[in-house]
Amino acid sequence: MKKLITITLIFSTISIASFARKVGETEITTEEGIEVFQNEKYYLLKKNVNIQSDRFKIKANLVKAYFDKDLYDIIKIESEDNVRLRSSKGIIANGEKINFSIKNEDIEVYGERSSLIYNSINMFSNEKIRVNNLTGEFNLEGNESELKTSTIQIFGSIINGEFITINEINEVQNLYVEDSNQVNIITDNINMFALRAKYNKKENVIELFENVKVIRGNETIIGDYANINTLTESYKVISNDKKKVKAIIINDNE
Amino acid sequence: MFLIFQNKQMNSINNKEGGKINKTAYDIIKPKFTINNEKSKISVTANEGNFMNKNDILLKENVLFKSKDFTIYSDDVLYNKKKQTANSERDSIFVSEGTKIESEGFNIIENGNIIEFKGESKIILSK
Repeated sequence: MKKLITITLIFSTISIASFARKVGETEITTEEGIEVFQNEKYYLLKKNVNIQSDRFKIKANLVKAYFDKDLYDIIKIESEDNVRLRSSKGIIANGEKINFSIKNEDIEVYGERSSLIYNSINMFSNEKIRVNNLTGEFNLEGNESELKTSTIQIFGSIINGEFITINEINEVQNLYVEDSNQVNIITDNINMFALRAKYNKKENVIELFENVKVIRGNETIIGDYANINTLTESYKVISNDKKKVKAIIINDNE
Repeated sequence: MFLIFQNKQMNSINNKEGGKINKTAYDIIKPKFTINNEKSKISVTANEGNFMNKNDILLKENVLFKSKDFTIYSDDVLYNKKKQTANSERDSIFVSEGTKIESEGFNIIENGNIIEFKGESKIILSK
């Protein structure tokens, strides 16, 4: 009889206590259930899945959550179908699929119209965006990939780089961009085109390689290589054939 | 797997394959089973049990699945002693270290390796 009362009490206590998420806890809700694979160490969460913790929120329709030591120890979340991720550090990501490695703070966003906004840095792609919040590394793959900050806009099929965070502001430190058709970099005053481009914050330099075109105001310079100082916005354009650097200057007054 | 009959009452019972049971009666008091898997044993207990057929037993009231890693609380669980599976359509609570799962039923298959929690479900992870 005592045992029966104890079990009944356990039932009642758990029913009352287990509803609301407290600070430090992670709450996961689903509409169509959960499958726990104990040997393979993952959960499968189905339909209208909401994951909420102090550090992040995820919404998706199908989620595979891998755990390490035990069920509570989630280390990686793979989400599919209309995924939205928000982190307490200011990351907002949307995509068809998002992989989130919790310990490494590594986020991969896949699919058309993928986006990842991290404070002042906006990333868009039709294939893949990857950001590692610990190292600051990021990679964008796919045609029409775009990286945008308040001062610069970059288009290419591959955009690789690194940022650092100072006082909650992310600043791009270096960049490599390429596109088999055309890379496009736009600042307030200069519009740049090439097949490849590099940017280095320390040296305040943008380098352009192959099929280079630099447009500033009324002047357009065409060549094979350009070196642009991002502070002074002065630039040098070089052609492989030294005679063939082409400058077009349009006078608005004429 | 072993089966302990602590007590057995044979009143108003249809114990044939696919047979129905009289809801006011029960076949077993405090039935106890064990599901064995590679890693651990899951002990299954309840207040009452009714034979549905040769292998299926309907466990009722305070049904408990307990292993060294977790406990599941539920009512009305259909246990298959041959396949060592368990299925419930009633509200269930799973508790393990740092984890609570509430669901509208559950299904234990592959000797406990896979536990499916049915319907609207909620997990609270507290570590």
